[in-house]
Amino acid sequence: MRYSHLRILATVAAIFMLAACGSNSSSSAAAKTFKIGLVTDTGGLNDKSFNHLADVGLQKAITDFKVQGDVVESKTGDDYIPNLTGFASKGYDLVIGVGFLMAQAVGTVSGQFPNINFAIIDGSGTDAQGNDLKHSNVESLYFSEQDAGAMAGVLAGMLEKDKKAPGNTGVISAVGGISIPPVNHYIAGYKWAATMEDPGIKVLVGYSNDFADPAKCKTVANAQIAQKSEILFQVAGGCGLGVLQAAGQAKLYSIGVDADQKDADPSVIASALKKVDIATYTAIQNVVQGKFTGGALTFNIANGGAGYALDNLTIPADIQAELDKVQGEIKAGTLTPPADIPA
Amino acid sequence: MAVSPAAVTGRSTPRLVTALRSAARALAIPVGSVIFAFVVGGLIVFATRGNPFIAYQDLICGGLGAFCTGGENPALQISNTIVFMTPLVMAGVAVAIPFRAGLFNIGAEGQFLAGAMACTIIGIKLSTWPAPVLLPLVLIGGMAAGSLWAGIAGVLKATVGAHEVVTTIMLNYVAQWLLRYLIIGGPLQLPHGFSVSSPIGAGARLPTLLPHDNTLIIFGLPSSVYRVHTGLFIGLIAVAVFAFILWRTSLGYEIRAAGQSQRAARYAGVSVRRTIIVSMLIAGAFSGLAGAVQIAGVDHNLTDKYFSDTTGFDAIAVALLGLGSAVGIVLAAILFAALHAGGSVMQSDAGISSNLVLVVQALILFSIAANFLSQIKIRIPRIRHVTPPPKAPAPALADISGGPPDPEATAT
Repeated sequence: MRYSHLRILATVAAIFMLAACGSNSSSSAAAKTFKIGLVTDTGGLNDKSFNHLADVGLQKAITDFKVQGDVVESKTGDDYIPNLTGFASKGYDLVIGVGFLMAQAVGTVSGQFPNINFAIIDGSGTDAQGNDLKHSNVESLYFSEQDAGAMAGVLAGMLEKDKKAPGNTGVISAVGGISIPPVNHYIAGYKWAATMEDPGIKVLVGYSNDFADPAKCKTVANAQIAQKSEILFQVAGGCGLGVLQAAGQAKLYSIGVDADQKDADPSVIASALKKVDIATYTAIQNVVQGKFTGGALTFNIANGGAGYALDNLTIPADIQAELDKVQGEIKAGTLTPPADIPA
Repeated sequence: MAVSPAAVTGRSTPRLVTALRSAARALAIPVGSVIFAFVVGGLIVFATRGNPFIAYQDLICGGLGAFCTGGENPALQISNTIVFMTPLVMAGVAVAIPFRAGLFNIGAEGQFLAGAMACTIIGIKLSTWPAPVLLPLVLIGGMAAGSLWAGIAGVLKATVGAHEVVTTIMLNYVAQWLLRYLIIGGPLQLPHGFSVSSPIGAGARLPTLLPHDNTLIIFGLPSSVYRVHTGLFIGLIAVAVFAFILWRTSLGYEIRAAGQSQRAARYAGVSVRRTIIVSMLIAGAFSGLAGAVQIAGVDHNLTDKYFSDTTGFDAIAVALLGLGSAVGIVLAAILFAALHAGGSVMQSDAGISSNLVLVVQALILFSIAANFLSQIKIRIPRIRHVTPPPKAPAPALADISGGPPDPEATAT
């Protein structure tokens, strides 16, 4: 409490000094300390993924723009509305909800506070039916997950094609959490790109119907392993850690999701990245620079908001070349991964 | 309560002292547990380089709307606490009734979900019906579903002796998976691909105390942010009904008798089997009502947040802390709800992780369960030298001062 007051005071003082040093335009706007509130979903800040990355983006914005950034973790789904309302009622300049689970809550609260700006990762402000309310004070931060999924698919397809996979069975798979758009985008890009690289490949897709319990994803993964899958792509958040473990125990390969999951299990050969930190940072930057607009912002390979990381495997040069080529083509727009899972 | 008659009759210092002493003894465990939890929680904050006083000040601000420094709206904070408290009160009763009968109902969560599901299904299927018909229908439907859910465990316990702790825990999973089925790919899921059901009809919703209006400003904020709904009164009535059943009906007597000693109850002509089943049925109705009220009053549809709902588990702590008494349950529910609501203010203002709230809650439960505080006897100094007080002048207080039921009594 006291510390943050001191910090604000110091920040304000610093800005006044800067303003006095001769900037002539909009000095009144520059003197304002923007207040940013971040509400995590039930995963919490230590989820090594989504919420963590959102906080990374916030911390970077605090450093770069001298904003006041406060975080609240949601313990249960019952906390979304009170937490969002808490920041909004205190007149914050931007309230960020992390994750599509908060879509309805953001829809409700943004209607109550039309003068407060909201941003939501992976969703929009919706009504109870899931319809976008299109409030002009809500910025939706979407990702082209299919871009990141496609990079994972290129890697898996090339490994099979080059016979560099553990058993060269020609079967790979994906484990989704729940069949919702962001999950299916990843799987769509993955399957599309793997088939593009190796037309004979077989891609299994399963769902755990869960985002939290690793045991459930492990069950699905083991069923896929029984069907000779040897590269398993997890798209199930915390639940998906069970996929990585199952692959590790069977001495197979796995691919992480959202954040770089190199350290989660030795079987992780790569991760498909959704750069939530960049999205969060961009939303804050927009508010600070007065460029905030309602509606959708999409983050993809072209603007650096999606990508991949290579993890615990040394990739042959030809596969690396193919990855670079496909990434370049997606960036240039000559290749467009599909948003729906191909048949 | 028991103090007033003693105070009226002038020459009754011993009785007054006895009553005070037994009251103090009854309250020593819950109050001591709460104090213990906050002290240890404060030490944890201190050890992690936070200021416990500021943390608790913000916690009180978030929970009770007092001592706020970060610009919080007190009315909003109190409203949030009441919204969290409402289902906890009813679910707390659902744990307390079987507890009085010597049973551990760990299945309040499953019964809560059953009530929520039944309320939603009725509220969607009959969405065009008018409120005077539909609203009672969804609430009764929720109670019936919760009752059914708990009744399964009750019947199994009474007939084949299956331990209710095991069966109620398992039934929690069944309810959770049924919920998953319903809103993930099942008949209630909306076509958008999100795991939510469609909302219940307008007639199935409990009205909020303040109008749901984004433009009407009350206490400095749009009135729709205050989510307190009429379910609050349903919850308070439910607690009163609980106290009435327990202390003013023969059923309540049978429940208490079965809880203290099944053998003695049987000897007194109480059908223990029937009492077990009936107490579980009633408990399930309260829990199911909590679920129905949560849907009808707050959420209006089933969402994936119910996967991670913990109302029924928090209710166990509420019932234990409240010593299974009506007033105790309300007070404990207020405490737990205030902690829940206060955690986020503590995190945003003081920068102390709201997980501290979970630590404090766990410490409260731990110290009640471990019962080590009873070793530290609170001694009220005796006034002069009086003759030893007559035994058991206050049966009510003697009753609730007992810890968990006799393990022998639970075994059938």
